[in-house]
Amino acid sequence: MEFIVVSTLNGFVYGLLLFMVSAGLTLIFGMMGVVNFAHASLYMLGAYLSFTITRATNFWVGLLIAPLIVATVGIFIERFMLRRVHGFGHSQQLLLTFGIAFVVEEVVKVFWGNFPIAYRPPGFLSGAAFTIFGTNFPSYRVFVAVVAILLLGMLYLLLQKTRIGIIVRASVQRPAMVSALGHNVPLIFLGVFGVGAWMAGLAGAVGGALLTTSPTMAAEMSVIAFVVVVVGGLGSLLGAFISSLLIGLLTSFSVGFQVSLADLANVFGFGDAARRIGGLLTLDVASLSASLPALLMLIVLLTRPAGLMGDRN
Amino acid sequence: MTQAAIELAGLKKRFGDNEIIRGVDLAVREHERHALIGPNGAGKSTLFHLISGLYTPSAGDILLNGRSIGGLPPHLITRRGLSRSFQITTIFPRLSVQENLRIAAMSKHGRRYALFSLARNAKEVNRDTDQLMELVRLSHVRDKFAGDLTYSEQRALEIGMAMGPGADVILLDEPMAGMSREETHYMIDLIRNVTVGKTLLVVEHDMEVVFSLCDRISVLVYGELIATGRPDDIRSNARVQEAYLGEVVA
Amino acid sequence: MLRLITLALVGAVLIAAPLFLEPHSIGVLTTALIAALFAMAFNLLSGRAGMLSFGHAAYFAIGGFAVIHTMQAVESGAIWLPTPLVPLMGGVAGLIGGLGAGFFATRRSGVYFSMVTLALAEMLHALAPNLGGFFGGEVGLTSMRMPWLAFDYGSENQVYFTVLAWTVFGIALLYAYNQTLFGRLTVGLRESERRISFLGYNAHHTKIIVFGVSAMFSGIAGGLLAFATESMNYSMLGMGMSASVVLHTFVGGSTVFLGPALGALIFALFGSLVSDLTKNWLLYQGILFVLIMMFMGDGLAMLWIRIVNECRSRNWDALRQRVLLLIPGLLITVGAITILEVTSKILDQQQYATSVARMNAWPPVSVFGVSWDPTSALTWLLPLVAILVGIGFVYLILARKMQQRTGTIIMSREPAR
Repeated sequence: MEFIVVSTLNGFVYGLLLFMVSAGLTLIFGMMGVVNFAHASLYMLGAYLSFTITRATNFWVGLLIAPLIVATVGIFIERFMLRRVHGFGHSQQLLLTFGIAFVVEEVVKVFWGNFPIAYRPPGFLSGAAFTIFGTNFPSYRVFVAVVAILLLGMLYLLLQKTRIGIIVRASVQRPAMVSALGHNVPLIFLGVFGVGAWMAGLAGAVGGALLTTSPTMAAEMSVIAFVVVVVGGLGSLLGAFISSLLIGLLTSFSVGFQVSLADLANVFGFGDAARRIGGLLTLDVASLSASLPALLMLIVLLTRPAGLMGDRN
Repeated sequence: MTQAAIELAGLKKRFGDNEIIRGVDLAVREHERHALIGPNGAGKSTLFHLISGLYTPSAGDILLNGRSIGGLPPHLITRRGLSRSFQITTIFPRLSVQENLRIAAMSKHGRRYALFSLARNAKEVNRDTDQLMELVRLSHVRDKFAGDLTYSEQRALEIGMAMGPGADVILLDEPMAGMSREETHYMIDLIRNVTVGKTLLVVEHDMEVVFSLCDRISVLVYGELIATGRPDDIRSNARVQEAYLGEVVA
Repeated sequence: MLRLITLALVGAVLIAAPLFLEPHSIGVLTTALIAALFAMAFNLLSGRAGMLSFGHAAYFAIGGFAVIHTMQAVESGAIWLPTPLVPLMGGVAGLIGGLGAGFFATRRSGVYFSMVTLALAEMLHALAPNLGGFFGGEVGLTSMRMPWLAFDYGSENQVYFTVLAWTVFGIALLYAYNQTLFGRLTVGLRESERRISFLGYNAHHTKIIVFGVSAMFSGIAGGLLAFATESMNYSMLGMGMSASVVLHTFVGGSTVFLGPALGALIFALFGSLVSDLTKNWLLYQGILFVLIMMFMGDGLAMLWIRIVNECRSRNWDALRQRVLLLIPGLLITVGAITILEVTSKILDQQQYATSVARMNAWPPVSVFGVSWDPTSALTWLLPLVAILVGIGFVYLILARKMQQRTGTIIMSREPAR
């Protein structure tokens, strides 16, 4: 029982964090048809910048300023780089963002070194928020969840209740039509890219202290964010939300699971045979946990190629 | 009576709550040139997509030479002997005209996984490629990139690609779209030439083309066929005039 | 004709190289050849079939591990296989892995495909350290090349020539593949998958086969690396390897047959030269790649072809302009490198921070043999001015050209891909 409750809470927090990153990814794809491979790099920049700003000032200033700088970087990428190659097709854009991700990782190594840095939650958030079944649940996790839920609410209000939101949602569906109606689509693109980058930066600023802040965090987040959008259905915010939580829970449950396929085979009476084969069969779920999201993606690709909420192929 | 080349029986297609094709029955006879006309949004393209396998029918069946093809994927339908052109030119822009047509002709000879035959030694394929090129009159631009051709040349290539697999039943989706008067005449002649001995089903807006090219005409309005018959019958059909031709004149 | 002469020259240089080079350089050249074959295999999928794989290291490494296991088996006498044929097993393993992964990845096209290949490779990367049996856990696996006939495979040269032979053979096979009917169909796949299926081809199966062939040659390349280094480690599965093949291929140029090999050779050789001078070599690679993607989408090989064509047609205007552009280009490069190197040396926490603490001042750092004082404004202004002047010149030159030929675009490129 304790395991289930704690894992659920952890998975929920992690899933919300994933959503903060993948929401921007899927929104940008929906509008521009560009999968931004540098999106997770913006998440990484958010973590590193807020670490440095926090050291110079305090946590709140870092949380405020770092995402804004990241948004500026995102806007620069869209305005001066992606837009340049807009006419040359999607693979050119894909390659360009891939290259940008590569450069950002190397820049981070130059400025902060090629090793994890000690980005930790601030003192006043380092205690336990509450105790459940004898386990202390850290306040910082609660804080991350609150930030993510606030952001989610804001995003919802922005998209559903404002004029800009209606235009953005329409652009996701029919970009050409929205442009024909006289809206400044390039400006909307820029805005969405900026907001997406800001969310990724914010996710990095809070997530960096929760997880680890290192030069490889972008590549790791990239993979999981891609899995999230493939599973959820590219371009669908609701799909991204559902699959973020799904993958968050999947990861947190599997980490604590010391069961292998061979143990499962034992139930049916051929556990010894499975153990003799070895390899994958004797690995316990915990050590598989890093690859489970990708496994989920394969299953989704086989059974529902467009993703849970996707309708476009 | 000869067997129908294409037979649609109670064909329906729904997208969500929208029924686009609402029960179409149609028999296209072997070796005839059959036109499908109708106002915008009548469902002509949807019907084409259903027959060629891009969409799967919600209800009803499609028979090709008496065998059901409803729900088959496009490549299997092509192999059964039905091939199509697209309204939006779908060619290989960065390949030469010859390469375009060669890929089309390879299919006819079933050279689908020819990993070990050099292209230049494939005599039959290359002979067919040259024939296709003659047929659609593109031999003079043989080595040009398809993307660099003029629009009407690209449309001719589009038809050539549809002819490549050697199917007996050809579907052409608005072959004259966006063409000038002169180009249209040239194209009518070309289509008449390439479809000798084949069954043709064509969607076209230009009435002159339809009346001069086709043996029979079917009129589709809001997902239903309201008439099928010879050009003269269609012209004098009151329902057609009301629903469709009247609209054009007005 | 010119092409043949160039090829013959390159071939002669590669064959004669061991006469002039010391063992260490031969090792560098061996790795460069392997990178070249890998890039060529990658480009079959990405350039010719239009399916951008961001996880190709997986098939490279699978081939490498298969070859290590084969070498171990040969070493223990469990199987008999002439040592020079051992890399073949990498191809077999790559093919099997590629067909399996390709089955999933090719269910989707475009960006989806890229994301799936990346996720598949990362899944394997995350799994590998736990699978000690095949991947040798965190430390990896080692083996030894067995002697065969008169060759003991103990010297750099013997390894080099084996790798050279395999690379040339692999590239020749890839060339032959492009000349087959299926090779032509492959390019059609890139141009319009829809048309391919409506012509009667099973697009999914076709894509799986192309994926498999590309993975097979990647596997041979990985096998050659295992053969040359006698070791393999799970880090070969990582993103770095997948990224480097993308960089090589598109910097070299994916639209020219030998472009990817050119890119790989340039990067590998240049990399070994400068990696002693700077630790930021990867950063420069990335910046170069981004710049090429932004301003010259079809890579260095295409640039070379353009220059040759301009020479042939005696297009002196175009050539003069290229030479003119070299000067500001050099200014920008030197300026940017200076700033980057000074910054990176100051930020190198371990070394610089200790000397700052010790001397209680910011000591100067040396770049290009000049010593730069970090506290002096000149250190930052001088390179900055060089960059700005350079950019200004580029605009001036290009603006003049625009005036001369209104309507023409500066960097002509192919239509959207």
